[in-house]
Amino acid sequence: MGSAERPEAPRIPPALARFLRHRLATGGALIAVLLIVSAVFAQRVAPRDPLFIDITKRFAPPLREGFLLGSDELGRDLFSRLIHAGRISLTVGFAAMIVSVTAGTLVGTLAAHASGVLDTLLMRLTDVFLSFPSIFLLLALAAFIPPSVVSLALIIGLTAWMEPARLVHGVTSSLLSQDFISAARATGGTQLRIAWRHVIPNSTGPVVVAATLNVANAILAESYVSYLGYGIQPPLATWGNMLNNAQAYFNSAPWLAIFPGLMIMLAVTSINFVGDGLRDALDPHGQK
Amino acid sequence: MWRYVLWRFLQGLGVMFAVSLIGFAILHLAPGGPLAVYATTTYMRAEDMARLQHELGLDQPLPVQYLRWVTDLLHGNWGRSYRDGSPVLAAIGSRLPATVELMLVSLTLAVILGVAVGILGAVRKHSIFDYLATTGAMVALSVPTFWFALMVIYLFAEVMGVLPSGDIATIGRPFSLLDRVHHLVGPSAVLGLVLLAPWSRYTRSAMLEVLHEDYIRSARAKGLSEQLVLLRHAFRNVLIPLLILAGIQLPLLFGGALVTETVFSWPGMGRFFVDSLGYRDYPVIMGLLLSSTLLVVVGNLVADLLCALADPRIHIQ
Amino acid sequence: MRKMVGLAVLPLIVFLVIGYMSRATNGATPQKGGDVIVGLSQEPTVFHPLMPGIEVDRGVHMAVFDPLWRVDSRGNFVPDLATQIPSVENGGVAKDGLRFMFRLRKDAMWHDGKPFTAADVKFTYDLIMNANFKAATRSGYDQIASLSTPDQYTVVLTLKKPYAPMLALWSDTYIVPQHILSQVADINTNDFSKNPIGTGAFKFVERVPGDHITLEANRRYHGPGPYLDRVIFKYIPDLTVMFVRFKTGAIDVTGIQGITVDHYAEAKTVPGVKLYVEPTSFVEYIWFNNALAQFKDKAVRQALYLAMNKQDYVERVYYGVPRPAESFLAPASWAFNPNLPKHEYNVSKAKELLDQAGWKAGPDGIRQKDGVKLSFSNSTTAGNKVREQAQAFLQQGWKQIGVNMEIKNMPAAVVWGDYFYKSQFDSVMVGWNMPVAGDPNVLTWFHSGFIPVKTGQGSNTLQYSNPEVDKLLEEGVSTLDREKRKQIYQQVQSIIRDDLPFLTVFYYVVIEGTKEKLQNYQQNANVWSNMWNVNEWWWEK
Repeated sequence: MGSAERPEAPRIPPALARFLRHRLATGGALIAVLLIVSAVFAQRVAPRDPLFIDITKRFAPPLREGFLLGSDELGRDLFSRLIHAGRISLTVGFAAMIVSVTAGTLVGTLAAHASGVLDTLLMRLTDVFLSFPSIFLLLALAAFIPPSVVSLALIIGLTAWMEPARLVHGVTSSLLSQDFISAARATGGTQLRIAWRHVIPNSTGPVVVAATLNVANAILAESYVSYLGYGIQPPLATWGNMLNNAQAYFNSAPWLAIFPGLMIMLAVTSINFVGDGLRDALDPHGQK
Repeated sequence: MWRYVLWRFLQGLGVMFAVSLIGFAILHLAPGGPLAVYATTTYMRAEDMARLQHELGLDQPLPVQYLRWVTDLLHGNWGRSYRDGSPVLAAIGSRLPATVELMLVSLTLAVILGVAVGILGAVRKHSIFDYLATTGAMVALSVPTFWFALMVIYLFAEVMGVLPSGDIATIGRPFSLLDRVHHLVGPSAVLGLVLLAPWSRYTRSAMLEVLHEDYIRSARAKGLSEQLVLLRHAFRNVLIPLLILAGIQLPLLFGGALVTETVFSWPGMGRFFVDSLGYRDYPVIMGLLLSSTLLVVVGNLVADLLCALADPRIHIQ
Repeated sequence: MRKMVGLAVLPLIVFLVIGYMSRATNGATPQKGGDVIVGLSQEPTVFHPLMPGIEVDRGVHMAVFDPLWRVDSRGNFVPDLATQIPSVENGGVAKDGLRFMFRLRKDAMWHDGKPFTAADVKFTYDLIMNANFKAATRSGYDQIASLSTPDQYTVVLTLKKPYAPMLALWSDTYIVPQHILSQVADINTNDFSKNPIGTGAFKFVERVPGDHITLEANRRYHGPGPYLDRVIFKYIPDLTVMFVRFKTGAIDVTGIQGITVDHYAEAKTVPGVKLYVEPTSFVEYIWFNNALAQFKDKAVRQALYLAMNKQDYVERVYYGVPRPAESFLAPASWAFNPNLPKHEYNVSKAKELLDQAGWKAGPDGIRQKDGVKLSFSNSTTAGNKVREQAQAFLQQGWKQIGVNMEIKNMPAAVVWGDYFYKSQFDSVMVGWNMPVAGDPNVLTWFHSGFIPVKTGQGSNTLQYSNPEVDKLLEEGVSTLDREKRKQIYQQVQSIIRDDLPFLTVFYYVVIEGTKEKLQNYQQNANVWSNMWNVNEWWWEK
């Protein structure tokens, strides 16, 4: 476990320095920012309408007929579709993360502050969900609920809130039992103020790391669900459903499968590296 | 100690009950049902569907259906598949060996390679090998398994023709160990590579920690050779956390295997789940959910017990 | 004198020899031996032929069981377990159509060695009508008043009223063994469903769940063949993977659902295979829910048809493989109406029609009338790639005339559940073959008394209601004279083509492939599976 350091609100500059020292994380951060920017400004960045069908220009290879990365089975521009798909996949990823972190933090904090029965009950509930094999839960939910950005984010978030909950619960409980907290209580600080000034800043570290990793996993989860046919349906593009579509044309038009796969890999890898870097930066003594 | 086990066992039962309730509710409340599969069987009309609905008991109120299912379960009857009428337990059991085969082989590959890579990476920290290994592990974690599997099939089965494009064995031929191994190479390589990443990372960081411990330094100071130090002291202390990881990962393998099985047409439980989901074969889905939850509960219990056994300092709550 | 006789006999001998040799369809003698591996994208799991099943299950039934007679690719009945097809001419069918009599083969045997008799036919009928039995359907069988067996090899059917599709009905009814099924404890759940015993050309050997099914030749089969040693049905859930296996030679036959159109070009380049590209009787429809406000107006349906670029749809989205269709019956059907008006692609005419009918464009470009927007959803099975492309194509085309079509695809289990049967959809993209065993009786599809959401029975999920059509259909099912029926059904086709309760797009051309050396594989648009003549397949060595 971590050494018995006096917990205090993290000072930003040294953490940033530590982050920047991690070269892979810095690289990852740059790529992630690039992806996010292109997703936000998708309409400006994409050269064409991702939904426009030109049935006479199907399956154009990259750099032909004016398509940067080629065209798909309906003559739509792959590059534009990738950009717009990125917007959806990244939105699902971040939204799912928000869902999971919010839900997890709520449950974890509540359980830690409450005591006895409620605490045990909530933590057992967390165990129930952890025992639900996540892929089964994910598939079962996705197969039965009409897919949309919102519903997918909720479903993926629902399978990922347990880790943040455990983290927050663990950190909060240990903090709450520390002397300075009881000292603060003794001097009349309210629960809320204690939470605000001490607990939250100190649990932020591991939660941020977990949150970052959640985004990466959520993007992957979306691709799995789409691959099995239960994700967001075409013609709206997501990286996952573009891969699903491209499977049938693997031999004749491999670029349709290679590029979306690469994008997923790029996004998830860079976000994972950012998470690694954040872990080193914010939590250098490591909590497993 | 045994009181703890009993307590955890009871909790496990509670967990399974909760999982079954939630699962059942999701399945039945959602739109669609097992009769949709007959839509293109045009000699079956709406009145036949209505009759089937009644025969399957699907027109009963939900709590009644659930109670019936639970009572049957408690009598050891897991129900029958809507698709072929076979008992659910038998159906799951018939698919189990294929998944176990794949999982064990993949896990073995992943552990051996992962631990080796992790140790090497820890020992040669910050070397080129270390950077490559770390990046490689990260990429392996970030690749969608099915995409990777598709690439493998395309490259090795279609372009180069050295591997079969799927299945557990060549059809129509009698059993041959060589044939089975040949078919295992693709899926276990894919699944193994994906599982490898956490093993190498975990081993590496655990080794790094241990390598800095005092007793290691004193062992080195005593003049013991590097290899001996590694083998006897560091590794032994890394072993326990790894065992725990195994306990946790084993049931999670179900998920990773699911996608691999689908791409490689591997007749295991993962694909069985995906197929049953498509057909809304409720009894089978519930059976699979329950059995995999059971595995997870058991796996967690084993991991926790190992944890407690390994480190008596850890207080059993 | 002897020389003359010899000269006369010689050509006779030659003639006989040629005649003998041309017995087999392609002029060669079937050789025995070899296995056939059939790839299927769905897994057959129901082996009891009378219980609810899907198309791939039928493939197994066709190999393991026999019907009284089969229907061939030209729509003619060919005797199987019966010795002759009953007809009015040979006295098998009474003039009033209420009595059928036919005799059975005496040399047919069950796989366990027991002889096949009329008791089995009677048992099959009784089982279907048994209220405790989970039969797939009783539709058609409920028209039979009684079935009796005056002796071991004769069957007499008495009907309540004339029912023209009776012969077709029995061509898809597989006879089950009385001596086995009458002894089981539970008629629905028993060993027979797992290890079926039939009279067919192949015996059931084993099923490896999730993987394959093995059948082996029945050497005492009463009909021609079987020439193969074994038939193995291999389950490959993904159509693309199945195609890859076909290319690498791992499977010999691409079964249901064949090769998708977007792989056709590639399929033509594969060496050592034979492709079968024949039209089926399956029609692809844009199926409207005619009770919906937007579709109640005939002008809307006509405009949608006018604004559909059918040519590009068929030739580009579907690579020109299927054939454009105007009727719900296929050209192969004896009741087909070849004189239906051809589709016209005319966007400005479509716009005019809508303008005249009072559908004016709103501020968002979508037409509306009396508060109803010309906006609707179209659903089909999620994951059907080519259909998804067709939907996107239609969506863009209809946008031009101010119609908003929303694509709302769902997993098969959802879209074809209550959503379809209870007419909860706006429109669906679907394909099927309405006639059963080639009989053009479409009463339950178009008759207003067969709307499931209203009457709980039938297949009229279109919610189509036209009293003239109702009358014609009722006549069609009870008239026995083929010529008269032909006229009736041609008129029905004509009215429906005018009413457009659905849009007919094309006739499916199923692309199936087999290895070149496999002989006698025949596509048959009148049956559920191309396993129908598996007893006649053979390998050329």
